[in-house]
Parts: sequence; C-alpha cells; structure tokens
Amino acid sequence: MLKIYTDTDTDMTPALAAEYGYTLISMPYSIDVKTTYPYVDFDNFDAHAFYDTLRGGVLPTTSAISKEQYINYFIRDFVAGNDILYVHFSRAMTNTFDAMDQAVATLKKKYPCSRFETIDTKGITTLSYAIVREVGDLVKAGKTLDEVLEWARTEVDKFAMYFFADDLKFFRRSGRVSGLAATMGTLIGVRPLIYMSQEGKMVSIGTAKGRAKALDFLVDKVGELGDDIAAHRICIGHTDAPDIAHEVGQMIEEKFGKQNIVYVDVNPTAGSHCGPNGVGVCFHAIHR
Amino acid sequence: MLDAELYLNLIRGGAANLSRNRQTINDLNVFPIPDGDTGDNMYMTIDAGTHASGSSLTERADSAAQGMLLGARGNSGVILSRIFAGMAKGFKGVSRADMPAFRSAMQAAVDEAYRAVSQPVEGTILTVLREGVAAAKDATTLEEYLDQWIAAMDVALQHTPEQLDVLKKAGVVDSGGAGLLCIAEGMRMALQGNSPLTVEEDTPTSIMPDHTQAAIDLNAFTEDSVLEFGYCTEFLLRLQRSKVDLEHFDEQIIKDWLATQGDSLVFFRDGSIIKVHVHTQDPGAVLSRCRTWGEFLTIKVENMTLQHHENHMDARFKRSRKALGTVTVAVGEGLTQIFKEMGADVVIEGGQTMNPPVERFLEAFDQTAAETILVFPNNSNILLTAQQAASLYKDARVEVIPTHTLGEGYFALANLDAELPTEALVQALTEAAASVTTGHISQAIRNTEEARKGEYIGFSGKDILAAGPSREQVANTLAAKLEAGNADIFMLLQGADVPSEEAGRLKETLEKTYPRTEVILLHGRQPIYDYILVLC
Repeated sequence: MLKIYTDTDTDMTPALAAEYGYTLISMPYSIDVKTTYPYVDFDNFDAHAFYDTLRGGVLPTTSAISKEQYINYFIRDFVAGNDILYVHFSRAMTNTFDAMDQAVATLKKKYPCSRFETIDTKGITTLSYAIVREVGDLVKAGKTLDEVLEWARTEVDKFAMYFFADDLKFFRRSGRVSGLAATMGTLIGVRPLIYMSQEGKMVSIGTAKGRAKALDFLVDKVGELGDDIAAHRICIGHTDAPDIAHEVGQMIEEKFGKQNIVYVDVNPTAGSHCGPNGVGVCFHAIHR
Repeated sequence: MLDAELYLNLIRGGAANLSRNRQTINDLNVFPIPDGDTGDNMYMTIDAGTHASGSSLTERADSAAQGMLLGARGNSGVILSRIFAGMAKGFKGVSRADMPAFRSAMQAAVDEAYRAVSQPVEGTILTVLREGVAAAKDATTLEEYLDQWIAAMDVALQHTPEQLDVLKKAGVVDSGGAGLLCIAEGMRMALQGNSPLTVEEDTPTSIMPDHTQAAIDLNAFTEDSVLEFGYCTEFLLRLQRSKVDLEHFDEQIIKDWLATQGDSLVFFRDGSIIKVHVHTQDPGAVLSRCRTWGEFLTIKVENMTLQHHENHMDARFKRSRKALGTVTVAVGEGLTQIFKEMGADVVIEGGQTMNPPVERFLEAFDQTAAETILVFPNNSNILLTAQQAASLYKDARVEVIPTHTLGEGYFALANLDAELPTEALVQALTEAAASVTTGHISQAIRNTEEARKGEYIGFSGKDILAAGPSREQVANTLAAKLEAGNADIFMLLQGADVPSEEAGRLKETLEKTYPRTEVILLHGRQPIYDYILVLC
C-alpha cells in the first residue's frame, strides 16, 4: 500500500494533508532559544501574529530535524511493509535530507520489504505546495507510485515560482539567496525579485522599484512563461500580505481570464527566510 | 656620551612605550605570526632586558642582550633580541660610547638582525631598522641620531605595504617594524627625560593612545555579519602514543592536511608537541581531525573579524582597509540614523542653515579609511565645499556625487552597488540622484507674494509650487504639482515638528490618490523642512 508524506515547509496544513492522506513532517524554526514545530506545537498557524513578530525586528532561525525524528515518522509504514513516497521541499536548500537518507538506510536494513521513494519539489513554500497538491490529486485518482514518479520526472521543472520580498535583511541573514551580496544599501521600496531555479535554489534576478512594478513583474512572468495555466492551480503565496496577494490574483485574471487561484499562507519556517510582506506566484510554465 | 646607566634607561623607556602600545601593535597582526601577537612578544622580549646589570656599557649591554635572548618570543621578538645582541657586540670593550662608537654599534645591530633570519624579507622590521640606521649615519649627537633614526623608520614603515603584498592586502604596516618604532620613540622620551622609566607607571604622555586595556568589541560581528576572515585557530597538540607511532610519525601528514583547511598556516614540531596556527573557516573540522593524532595542550580560537576591527588601531599604522567608503551630509537624528542604517560610514551634520566646513569633510575622509570615498553632500550650498575637500584630500580617491537634496542623497545611497567599478558606480549614482524629484515644505518666515508669514510653502528647487495655511493641504498640492502619480516610490520624510498622526493621515491620503505609487513614510525628524517629498 502506498503511503504519502510531505513536510510543513511545503505550506501544507494538517487539514489539507488529511484530505489527501499525507502524513505531515514538521520542520522547525526557532525564535531566541525557543524551537517551534509547526502543527505539533500549535494547531492553527496564526500567520498575522507570526509575521508581526518579524516586523517587530525578530529574526528567527530554522534548523534541520534529526535522523531519529525521521525514523519516528517513517517506522510505522516500514514495519507495516507499506511503500512510501515523500514529496519534500528542496534538497538544495537544506542538509536535513542527509539525516533522512541515514534514517531510511537504517530502516531499510531492518525492514527491507518497503519501497521508499522521494520527489524533490526543488522549491519551498508555495512552489512545493502546488506540486504536493498535484501529486495528491494523482494518488487520489489511483495512479501507481511509478506513474506518479514518472509524472514528477518531467513535471516538477514545469512549476515556476517568482516572488518578491519586502526587506533584504531576512534573506541576507539566511544566506539562502544567491546574487544578493552586490547591493549594499537598505533598499526601502526597492524589492528584490527572486525565482526558484531548476536546481531548487532561490536566485535573485534584479529589483523592482515600488510595489506596482513588483506586481507587474509577477504578472508579466505568468504571461511570458505560463503554459496551460488554466488546467493547473495558480498558487499565490504571501507572508501576511493578503491584500497584495489578492491584487496580484486580480491582475492575473484581468489579463488571462478566470483562473483557479489558491491563496496560501507561507509557512513560518520558510517565511523566516523571506520576512513579512512578500508575495510570490507559482504557475505551470514552459520552464522555471 | 652613552654610559651603562643611560643605555638601560633607553631600553626601559623603549619597553615602557611599547607596553603602552602593544595592543595597537597586536592589532596589526593580520597574517601569521608564530607564538602569538607581535606587540606582546616584542614587549616580553625587551622587558627581559630591563633588569640588566653591569657597571660598564659593555657589561650592561651584554647583560641586556642576554636577558632578551632568553626572553625572546615570536619571530619579531627573536629579531629584536638579535638587534640588541648586535649592539652589545658593537659596544664590546667600550665603557662609555661616543657617537662613532654608537653609530657603529647600530650598524652591528642591523648586521646581526639580518643574520638572525635565514631568508631576510624586505618590508619587515629588518627594512625599517636598516633604513632608519642608514638615514642617521651622519648624526652628531644622540638626540639628533634618535630624531633622524625615528623619522626614517617612520617613513620606511609606511612603505612596508608596498614591499609586502600580504601587508597591502591586509591594509596594515608591518607590525614588527611598528613595534621597533614604538621602542625607538620610547628611547627618545627617556633621553629627553620625559618618559616613565618603568612600565608600571602610566602617564598620558604616550605618543599613541593607550589600547592595552582595549576590550574586544563584540559588536564588530553582528547578526548580519558575514564570516569573511574565518577563525584564527591556534593550538598545541601533544602527539599520543596511543594514536600514532611516535618514533616514526611524519608530521608532514598533518601539515599537508592543514594546508587544505585554510591559510596563513604556521606549523612546527618540537618533540611530541605540534604547534599550529591557521586561519580557517571551520575550526571544528581542524580540531576534530587533529585529535586523531593527539590531544590538545592549549587551544585558542578567535573570530578574525573581531581581530580585524579597526577601532583599536592607531591611525598612523592603519592603511586604507576598505575598498569603498561613503560620507554623507544630513541634519536631524532620524535622517542621520537612516543614512547610517543604509551603510553610510560617516554622516556629517549639516544642511541648509548649517554648512559644514572643508575641515569637517577632511576629518570624515580620515574616519572613513577607504581607498575610494563617495561623498553625498545633499545640498546645493554644500556641494562646492565637498568638492573643495575632495580636491585637497590625497589619501584616497574621493568622488563627490552631486546630490542637491537629502532625497537625492537617500535614493542614490540606496542604489549603491559596491561591486561596480568606480567610474560606472559614480555614473550610476549620479544618474540615480538625477532621476529623483524632491519637494520641500517649510513655514514662510516672512510675507511673500505666495504666502504670508507663518503659512506653509511647498517648493521644488527655487520654484514655489504650493502655499497655504494647512501643511497637509500644501503637501497634497505639492505632490500633485510634482506628478506623484508617475513615480514608483514616494518617500515622505517627516520633519521634527510634525505630529505622527498628521503624517500618517497624509500618507493615507497620498496612497489613495496615487494607488500605483508606493508611499513610504520615514521619520526623518529634520528641522526646517516639515516634509521632504522624494519621488523616484
């Protein structure tokens, strides 16, 4: 029997995960010395309260979970001899999956009957969310593990994600965006534009002066790279900026007609790297 | 005539002055110095010679040299001890030295120092000593000698970065040479009778600031700092029989491996003890691996950004370290803070009614300590002063970005891309500044055609574009005249006398009126201008 897993860095909530049958692996963040595991340490994510804390000057950190924690998640299905598919956030952004590899190797030795497969969404937050949901749809529709993996082989790279952040300081701190070092000043009003690369990394591709230009940029990207967008969800993620997110959604529909738009709260762990007031759009594209 | 007593006084004066400046000298240690810090090492070396005995100059010089040879620490210390050993040789058979005898002893000191090093390197303490001695060869009195020696050593010291790439890259002068200069200066003070002769005494006559008590500034490495220099990692490792075959162990294995882990490697083995100094990004990896061969006797790991922090350094010894620095002019604590947060190195206080003098700029350039300095005068009345200062300043390339208003300066600085070549950067900043429209709102101080005294006027450049009794209304009219709707960003700098409630309300009105323009309210707290409107 196939069991599917994903993690909280993909923006999946427990309610939605349950709908698809996903087991949700909680990826932690820390503020001061207090470590929080989303949906383990709280039931509902209060995005506004969380990002308000960040607005107040707090810079959270994130940490990788251990081999033992992975074993605790997976062991039940290994014992039961189930097949496992873990759809996870980008391996290129973390070392946590080394611990996962070790955990799986240990479990496989003991329970060799289970098959363990992964899909690297090569993204985080909204981009991963879109792929996790597509995979969930396929599994729900009765596709086999191999069919799902075959789909992912070609399709993962066709989910593009473009976003802007409000403030460079969170990215500077996390060091997870390449190409940012060149700029020295605090660019108030000038927003860094970032996309998720084919390698699953965040790459800076310039700046937009003023919010209006930043929004235009996102919408233009959908026009430039969009492929069969109507047949897929358009996921608009935001870090406590629902008004701007809806503005983008409205602009997209004005330009490309009615779409299946889903608004997503960026999870606190990924949001710790982006900071508040960021907005991004994920759509099906000819390439990233 | 130099006798035994005076000679010892000179050494003590040198030691006392070095003691007061040893942290300064330590701070110059940005490349490998075995056995720790140059200032400390040289001080401990010379201090070992301050208790010399003997009635004749020969005996006293021998005794001092002997003490220093035994007390010598580190490369610079060893060379220093050889300098005094050379002098002792030169004083052999002399109970009191006249000038020819003193000069020849100094030459012997140079020769002996060079002999101490198997492969003498220029741009070090050796060069400084040699050039100093050569310059003083015609001096006829001891006072004159010390003056000429010190002056020439100072010049030679300043040239050391041109001779040694490692100094140039680190932006410092040679630490051993600097230490020797401190000693020489202490000697001169002793000769003049105005130096404390013991290191315990502490008088403020030091020619350099007292940094011996300087604590490490932990703020030099903040939450947003990038680990640029790595960790200075030093340890003594005792090879363990249980881990290696001690008799046949070739320490080259460790040395080769360490060479892959960082730079500035200093490595030597003495019996079963290995001494290591390396600059590495990952001290944990170095320590873990080295423990496979032995156990540690001592370990010291320091973040080199803190070591590099310039505040501890004497200006005379400090070379321009940064490639690029910025000096800007602003008035009001809010704006000053804003400019600092944006990365301005020095914010000169000044503005419309308070034009800073040329000297203030020159001072700021010194404080900036950069190879290229960008100046944002932010006021038409200050532009010329800044340009004048730039033309007078010789220690750095100074480029004045012609920013006529605070708004232009703000936006230019926000666009500073430190990785562009200077010409391109100056052009980009100039263009950025020119793309900005600035409006000001202020209270009329007398009746004019447009407004009565006490009313508000809104103007851009010299054109009064709005006027009236309501500040908010004038701001809205001015924004319309300046076509705020065409701007991407509208920065509103709130003046010192404007209540936040009013500014917040104005921001909301502007946002509604210009939905495609992003309005950003900043607490500039500037005087005179109730609002500064920056459109870009």
